[in-house]
Amino acid sequence: MSSDLDRQIEQLKRCEPLKESEVKSLCLKAMEILVEESNVQRVDAPVTICGDIHGQFYDMKELFRVGGDCPKTNYLFLGDFVDRGFYSVETFLLLLALKVRYPDRITLIRGNHESRQITQVYGFYDECLRKYGSVNVWRYCTDIFDYLSLSALIENKIFSVHGGLSPAISTLDQIRTIDRKQEVPHDGAMCDLLWSDPEEIVEGWGLSPRGAGFLFGSSVVTPFNHTNNIDYICRAHQLVMEGYKWMFNNQIVTVWSAPNYCYRCGNVAAILELDENLNKEFRVFEAAPQEARGAPAKKPPPDYFL
Amino acid sequence: MGAQEKSPSSNNSMQRVKVYRLSDDGKWDDQGTGHVSVDYLERTEELGLFVIDEEDNETLLLHRISSDDIYRKQDDTIISWRDPEYATELALSFQETCGCNYIWDSICNVQRNLHFNTLSSDTYHNVNSELRELPPVELSTLPLILKIVVESGISDQLRVTDLILHDPDFIRKLLDLFRICEDLENIDGLHMIYKIVRGIILLNSTPIFEKLFGDDHIMDIIGSLEYDPDGPHINHRKFLKEHVVFKEAMTIKDPLVLSKIHQTYRVGYLKDVVLPRVVDDATAASLTAIIHSNNAIVVSLLKDDSTFIQELFARLRSTTSAESKKDLVLFLHEFCTLSKSLQMVQQLRLYRDLVNEGILDIIADILQSEDKKLVLTGTDILILLLNQDPNLLRSYVTRQEGIPLFGLLVKGMLTDFGDDMHCQFLEILRNLLDSYASGSQRESIVDIFYERHLGQLVDAITSSCPGHSTSPTVSKFGKSDGESGNQSSVRPEILLNICDLLCFCVLHHPYRIKCNFLLNNVIDKVLLLTRRREKYLVVAAVRFIRTLISRNDEHLVNHIVKNDLLRPVVLAFVDNGSRYNLLNSAVLELFEYIRKENLKILLKYLIESYWEQLVKFDFLPSICSLKVKYEQSLESGGLRSSVNVSDPRKRIDERALEKEEEDYFNEDSDEEDSASASVPRTNKGHSRSTLPNGSASASASASASDYPSIRSGGLVDYDDDDDDDEFNPPPREHLDKSAEDDEEIAESFRLKRKLASKEEPEPKKLRRLPKPSKPNEGVFAALCSTLSQAILPGKKTSSITADVPRKNSNTVNQTEANQKEVGPVSSSNREGSSSSIDVEGNNARKEVSPGQKIKDKESNLHDLPENIQEHESDENPLIHKASPEMAVNGS
Repeated sequence: MSSDLDRQIEQLKRCEPLKESEVKSLCLKAMEILVEESNVQRVDAPVTICGDIHGQFYDMKELFRVGGDCPKTNYLFLGDFVDRGFYSVETFLLLLALKVRYPDRITLIRGNHESRQITQVYGFYDECLRKYGSVNVWRYCTDIFDYLSLSALIENKIFSVHGGLSPAISTLDQIRTIDRKQEVPHDGAMCDLLWSDPEEIVEGWGLSPRGAGFLFGSSVVTPFNHTNNIDYICRAHQLVMEGYKWMFNNQIVTVWSAPNYCYRCGNVAAILELDENLNKEFRVFEAAPQEARGAPAKKPPPDYFL
Repeated sequence: MGAQEKSPSSNNSMQRVKVYRLSDDGKWDDQGTGHVSVDYLERTEELGLFVIDEEDNETLLLHRISSDDIYRKQDDTIISWRDPEYATELALSFQETCGCNYIWDSICNVQRNLHFNTLSSDTYHNVNSELRELPPVELSTLPLILKIVVESGISDQLRVTDLILHDPDFIRKLLDLFRICEDLENIDGLHMIYKIVRGIILLNSTPIFEKLFGDDHIMDIIGSLEYDPDGPHINHRKFLKEHVVFKEAMTIKDPLVLSKIHQTYRVGYLKDVVLPRVVDDATAASLTAIIHSNNAIVVSLLKDDSTFIQELFARLRSTTSAESKKDLVLFLHEFCTLSKSLQMVQQLRLYRDLVNEGILDIIADILQSEDKKLVLTGTDILILLLNQDPNLLRSYVTRQEGIPLFGLLVKGMLTDFGDDMHCQFLEILRNLLDSYASGSQRESIVDIFYERHLGQLVDAITSSCPGHSTSPTVSKFGKSDGESGNQSSVRPEILLNICDLLCFCVLHHPYRIKCNFLLNNVIDKVLLLTRRREKYLVVAAVRFIRTLISRNDEHLVNHIVKNDLLRPVVLAFVDNGSRYNLLNSAVLELFEYIRKENLKILLKYLIESYWEQLVKFDFLPSICSLKVKYEQSLESGGLRSSVNVSDPRKRIDERALEKEEEDYFNEDSDEEDSASASVPRTNKGHSRSTLPNGSASASASASASDYPSIRSGGLVDYDDDDDDDEFNPPPREHLDKSAEDDEEIAESFRLKRKLASKEEPEPKKLRRLPKPSKPNEGVFAALCSTLSQAILPGKKTSSITADVPRKNSNTVNQTEANQKEVGPVSSSNREGSSSSIDVEGNNARKEVSPGQKIKDKESNLHDLPENIQEHESDENPLIHKASPEMAVNGS
């Protein structure tokens, strides 16, 4: 079985999508693993934290080149694997296959794009339809999204989440009582964790221009970190041109891992490496060079009737 | 779920905008959503903004870009201006910042050119006039051509486009040169030609595309694009010529159709394989548009050939060769897929024609095929049809000839398709059972489903779960894998689908499930899933009971308590130990819900029966506070059932109850007035339950009069023998007794149905309207008795207020309602209007009620910023669309 999986991982690493039937069995295996994870998934150091990927498969390969291959390096991905880039299917399936193969060496948590609604607008739905001719793969993947954990806690000291904080959550314990197996709601704690953004000029909580989640200022972060006895919050969700950005006097950091976002934003990307003593090192990297990109894998079916 | 099926338009989100117009009374009116582009106004050389409606492709907005400084950009997503032609303010609200920036830059560019024009139009034109014609196409001129094509500004590009179009030989000569270079292996030349062809494509001109993609050029175009200097050489032509097979399942005679079919495939290939990282969004959109319009032409030419469909169907019916049948089915599937490119009306007409020609019989036949892949293709066709017009399938399955198809769909859901994905069945069934569907067949479909098929689904669960035969009284703590020995081979993912569908039923047919589930012990059986080894099935079972509880239905709650139905949930929770996983969270969430919503009957039952097990977990705040809540209720002495709550988890569109079904039951309550003599009223189940505000409803409705009036300060004695042995489930005879009770309840439901259907052949809705206010009160009180604390408004407000409690009011609007109650009946106009708005919001079932949303937020969050009102403008919070109102005011 694991040899099958290893073969699939190799195939995905070449950016070749799996067959529908392989996706199905992969998803079912992933479901069994993810259902055992907690809403605040505990992660041990050393670990490498990665932000948004957004279907930029070749840039993710660059990420692995910079950060090391998966079982060797312990990874935490902060969500937003799909949408916008050309290879959401391959990107997500590779991460999922790695998760199934090495459950303890890679942690995937949910981003706001891991949602049925959002993926229908920003590309993943269309990509599945185009690459498989039906939306079944999209259905299976979005079902898996519902099982993804909502946040992670590294050595009890670093709280990691895709978006940010929620006014409904002041202690990590409160996250425990969310039944996360659902589409990302339009409001409430689960929505906020995936949608909120820190903002310098906001005092307390502010309305988010995104239309979901909130903006939160340092006066929210300081007590949160204090109450929960954590050093800082690590999140993704916002493009930062330098790849990472500290805010609020090093109480929260944004990590962004999609270089040249949307293939045109011109930004660099970063990952955050933590050693066993939680010493930080940011590794900044650029988009994969053109040569590294093989032929785009989406060949249309060779047969056509119309 | 409905939204999920709307296939998103293939257009890119960058161009997606909402158009707003400032009305006379100072409001921003939403004019629609579409895609914006900058293009030439017809028959002029002036550039303008075009917004094409994404739904009907009508022009939403046409605005000549002015050289005056009238444009304002706000918040990176809004461009607004005072439009001289419309004589009002207009605004474009962009979905994406980069789209807004792009259009903004284009406007600025056009303005710069306009200024330049007016300043020195001669000089300006002189610059351009150098480009009176393109240089002859020769190897030596390639650099010059490249320069002209690639390095020209926006207005020069249009001139280049013109020149290419007016030179009939330019493209042919360029491609001739390409073949020469290829023969000579002149790589530099080939690279240059690659860049020129790419540049020409990026001019994004539809007439040029027509030339490029003509039968005589397209292969050479693809060939020239193989020579990307920055990428590896990939032999696309070889793939297209040698590997691609055009399968002619049906002979197509029309050469135009054939040519379009081939062209479509190649353009699609060009776009997806050759050019994906070269083309910009606008060009990609143009290519998609070409593919769409080709598809539309092909499909409409084929469908207009009256014999074609008939011949196709005749062959599908008659063919015996598995291979050719398979091709025909795949052909039909592709035909239906491509029909998405037709205009809405034509699509509808096409599917109606297909149904008339018997496509559904053919699908029923396909679904019985041995070839499982073919079966799945059949379901894919059904889904395409459902997306177009669900009523076609709905009315079919309720007719005699359609009954087998319904059965096949249910059977398909239970069939093991091995590795193949078969989630389509679940989706089709959901669609059929959707209570928001319009159409008269809805009730019959639901009838058929509950009568014929629900049992099958539930049986699949019982037969696959361990220990069904053992009485729950002896079932031991925990479960071992060994128990799974007697399971039949229904795959776990099928069980998961069944459980999902049952949850869907709970939400969509709240009344139907009540009698059906109670009658058949469905809940009990579904909860057998908690004994499965697969944790996700255990969690699914928890979700099922959670969904039931969120209905806040007293009968269901009493049924749960009487039959000790939370036992399997508690056992699963305890068995899970201190592991913090999804099961743990789901059960804690359920407990939190019971606590927060103060569902006292459940609270009492849970604590009194299971505290001994749960106490181990009292380090968890949720468990601890559950006990505290229980003790508080004891102290306050008000351990009455309170089932007046809204479920924050419920999807918005599920908040509103299913109207017709509800009406039906309302009518029943009415009916009981007259029919009570003939209906045996032995529902002890009712009598054990307590009522919220019992006195009010007891006097108001006959059904409620059977309830005892409020017990003073007492806990509910739902059963005497329960109290002493707390965690042992009720003894056997008690179970039987309660089962009897349930049956009686269900029986009376069934009687009611029969009575109702006999005495009331008229559509039920009609009766409601002319009703005078007095009987309405009865309806209303009955509603209150099952739904909520009775908030009995004055009689005067009858017709409107009767609807109010239907919205599962959350705490905030409850207080509002209470205030209304306290206040004088002759409320001020403002109050009056706000309540009517509430009702409207309530009727707009599938819409997110903005008021509701705000209230939800408010209740979560007390120190919310004042500008909460702005939130109201977000119809869809997940798609960023700022309202111009907020931006304009903010600026």
